[in-house]
Amino acid sequence: MYAGGTDLLVRLRKNPVNPFPLVCLGQIKELKGVRESPEGAFIGACSSHASLLSNPIIRYAFPVLAKGLQVLGSPPIRNMGTIGGNICTASPAGDTLPPLYVLDAVLEIRSQNAVRRIAIKDFIVGPGQQRLNKGEILAGIWLKNDPDFNIHHFEKVGQRNALAISVASLSALLKVSESGIIERVRLAWGSVAPTIVSPTNVEAALKGHFLSKDTLQKVMPLLREAISPIDDIRATAAYRRTVAGNILLRLLASFPYKEGYGT
Amino acid sequence: MTVQKNILKVGKAIHRIDARSKVRGAEKYASDYYGQNLVWAGVKRAGIPHARIKNIIIEKTKNLTGVISVLTYRDIHGSNRQGVIRRDQPVLADDKVRHCGDAVALVLAEDQAVLKEALDLIAIDYEPLPGIFSIGKALEQGAPLIHEEHPGGNVLLKGDLKTGRGEAALEECDVVVEGYFTVPYQEHAYLETEGGWALLTEDGHLEITASTQTPFRDLAEVAEALGIERESIRIRAPYCGGAFGGKDGITVQSLLALAALHCQGRPVRMVWDREESFIAGVKRHPGSLHYRLGAKADGTLYALSAEVYYDTGPYDHLGGAILALGLEHAGGPYRIPHASIRGWSVYTNNPVAGAFRGFGVPQVAAAMEQTMDMLAAKLDLSPLEMRRRNAVHRGDKTPLGVTLISSTGLAECLDAVAEHALWKEKERWKASAGSSKKRGVGIACVMHGMGYGPIVPDYANAKIELTKKGAFRIFCGVVDMGQGNASTYLQIAGDILNQDMDHLELVLPDTEKTLPSGSASASRTTYTFGNALIGAAEALKKRILQRSAETCASDPNDGLTMVLRPGSVFHPPTGKEIPLSQIVRMLDESERISVFEFRAPVTQERPTEDENLRLHGIPHRIFSYGVHLAYVEVDELTGKVEAQRYLAISDCGRIINPQVFEQQIQGGIAQGIGYALCEDLVVARGKIQTPNLSTYVIPTAMDIPEMESIAIEKQEETGPFGLKGAGEIAIDGPLPAIANAVADACGVRIFHAPLAAGRVLTALEAKRGGKEVKA
Repeated sequence: MYAGGTDLLVRLRKNPVNPFPLVCLGQIKELKGVRESPEGAFIGACSSHASLLSNPIIRYAFPVLAKGLQVLGSPPIRNMGTIGGNICTASPAGDTLPPLYVLDAVLEIRSQNAVRRIAIKDFIVGPGQQRLNKGEILAGIWLKNDPDFNIHHFEKVGQRNALAISVASLSALLKVSESGIIERVRLAWGSVAPTIVSPTNVEAALKGHFLSKDTLQKVMPLLREAISPIDDIRATAAYRRTVAGNILLRLLASFPYKEGYGT
Repeated sequence: MTVQKNILKVGKAIHRIDARSKVRGAEKYASDYYGQNLVWAGVKRAGIPHARIKNIIIEKTKNLTGVISVLTYRDIHGSNRQGVIRRDQPVLADDKVRHCGDAVALVLAEDQAVLKEALDLIAIDYEPLPGIFSIGKALEQGAPLIHEEHPGGNVLLKGDLKTGRGEAALEECDVVVEGYFTVPYQEHAYLETEGGWALLTEDGHLEITASTQTPFRDLAEVAEALGIERESIRIRAPYCGGAFGGKDGITVQSLLALAALHCQGRPVRMVWDREESFIAGVKRHPGSLHYRLGAKADGTLYALSAEVYYDTGPYDHLGGAILALGLEHAGGPYRIPHASIRGWSVYTNNPVAGAFRGFGVPQVAAAMEQTMDMLAAKLDLSPLEMRRRNAVHRGDKTPLGVTLISSTGLAECLDAVAEHALWKEKERWKASAGSSKKRGVGIACVMHGMGYGPIVPDYANAKIELTKKGAFRIFCGVVDMGQGNASTYLQIAGDILNQDMDHLELVLPDTEKTLPSGSASASRTTYTFGNALIGAAEALKKRILQRSAETCASDPNDGLTMVLRPGSVFHPPTGKEIPLSQIVRMLDESERISVFEFRAPVTQERPTEDENLRLHGIPHRIFSYGVHLAYVEVDELTGKVEAQRYLAISDCGRIINPQVFEQQIQGGIAQGIGYALCEDLVVARGKIQTPNLSTYVIPTAMDIPEMESIAIEKQEETGPFGLKGAGEIAIDGPLPAIANAVADACGVRIFHAPLAAGRVLTALEAKRGGKEVKA
């Protein structure tokens, strides 16, 4: 069972399956598109990345997701690949995942007779592993509007600017007061552990403090505890560990208010 | 009056003729053949880096339904050795395997699925041998030998060159700097992997169509390796989907020929997939370089010591010639009176290194140009000023002691950089870096020799035919691997013969139709063939006009008054116009064809008495020059380096087609940016860990900045319309220009390429750490 086939294509080249018991969900209309609801939006699992990227609801209500989609793969991959596929593939390097974690995405899972909902962080359990049972499909993603946040940040560190598998990524939503106090914060890192890492203790440690280099530096030890990066052909664990912390400092440049803060 | 506006003119920017057919997917490459009754050929690769072959077990494979034949070295009745200078590479491994990609058996099957299954069934019984995976290990006393019979042991070629008092003169310098550099492998990563097809015809002719840069040289190699008559082989070379040197020599040709001999007259196809291309194809030589460079206090270069080590893998594959070109260029385009330049091209059990655009020069340019910046910094001179003071002019001697007797436009390139906005505004740009960003600007000067050097004859034979329909057919003897030279040939012929595209035809290289014209390599393709073509076109033009005058004008000596027009001959005094299709009837079959040979001039100077080095190409006579300038931004948080602006100012003589020239320069820069920043072939114990384009990272359009290319268009007297080679020089500059820019940005130099994010971040952290210690 597949949707866009962008991951499948690569896998099949390596390990051909014969005969081909493939079911494509990608053309089912009901699984495509974005529907607005009073409290947020429902994204059909088979919506392509490109379609979401050009969708005004996504762009305006969930800019952090749009930022992740913007750097996912390349135009052909964004045209074919789907958000549901990105979730079910459950790669720690999936570019939509850190944004979906900070947005507290809830997944709608359907089977012939039932519908269930599950938070994305409970759905993905390991690299390539998720809690999709036999007979179930991912139908879509529920996102809640939260206009409170005033920093919507996504950064992907890859070996090149397109067609890159993330070496580390960070998605962040912050509400920073006019005086520079972090009032709310959601953070999620990709590619630094078997699954996306969204450490609540780091978030808690930031809350109530000035958004400054000092504040961010102080939570680095907590962050480094929370992650467990690996060495692979793209980067060393040490590099990922360093960069996972460093890219948090990029939030300083996002701080939209008075000069003098964040330095 | 005939419309003359479409007449091809030298110097005019025109779209290359192959653009349309390639964009539409209509152009047929060697790997595009899927004929009827096709046999699929594939290769069983060694999989281990060094071992004696005890037994190749093929019985199971042979019995598999759909397998036509399984061939091993026992089925080869020739030398079973191929190579350009030293023929040391087996078609199919016999006694030993020397790298993971060695071909051990060739399987012919009815379809791809059977072929794959068949290849998996072959087992090879090995006696493993100790592997050599580094230059240092290869050079150790008592190291296992990769070619037991080679008199040089594990050293394929060694060079020792000295001018003046050599390195001893370093002691007389006021300032000396020293650097140890390493440069990585680079994969060609062409769109079209190695491939082609072959057929044994009923009359015993072997027809091979291959993606190759060297159809004529391939003939001799295939014939000798397989023990068949050279005359019975025909090789056709369509446009390549990229080659960059990786198809300068045998890839699939001998295997296809061997396969065709066992296919009972059926066509046989072989195309390597991407992984096989990585594993079996050649790469740019990785190397380590030790440089010491000294100057007088006023910034005049005085002495150089350069030691250059290249890992050539287990086979020559031009690895000797590549080292030689590296040594010739080791001192860069500068006047250095005293130099010791030594080099070793070393056999290992790593992947095979071979020709790649630049041919040994990008490695030394990386070391030399960074050393120049280090020296400039020590002398407190700007990098540009340092280079201006030492740049070669015509009549100067190179660091090898060879006089530059041809056009030498480096000084003009440097002047143009000094006047360029990117140079003048660099400080302002650097100062406006955003938070967590550092910006730097670097330059590099490069020179690149053209052609084969003093011994190997560098010639081309052009042939033009006036067809019965009154068009001109250009027989292109040298391959167009994507660089656009075939278009340029039409432009040259069109200019001389005053024709438009409708009256020009092109025959791509075919050993039965076109004439031997050497390889598409060494930045010599358009220079050498272009000169031959001018001769052929001029002679044919003269003959046509003369003959036309004899018939249509009263005075048979009036040939000079007649002019060629597209498809016709015109006599202005009488206004008479005769179609070429009519003129052609007055010519004998043989007169319709014009052939001209051009042989490139060589220098008579002998910087070395080492005949072997001369055979390998030292020295050259004609050089192109360039100055590259890179703007880079370094991210302090990730170590990522981004090239943000790029300028290349080149002296490649006069330009025939500015558009094709610009494409060459831009292609070289882009490939060079990959070499500098992200391309990193990881090899562990002889095995490639990054054998695909997902793990071997080449830049995409998103990583390539705005590139500006300026040609100073200085006339090269011996060049066709004043041209010099432009195919390679652009890849010599990016690594040093970017490395210098990164050093400028970070205040710390990274001696190991590529300058990937991890390496840069480590250097930044070390520097920060160092500072804290000081504070």
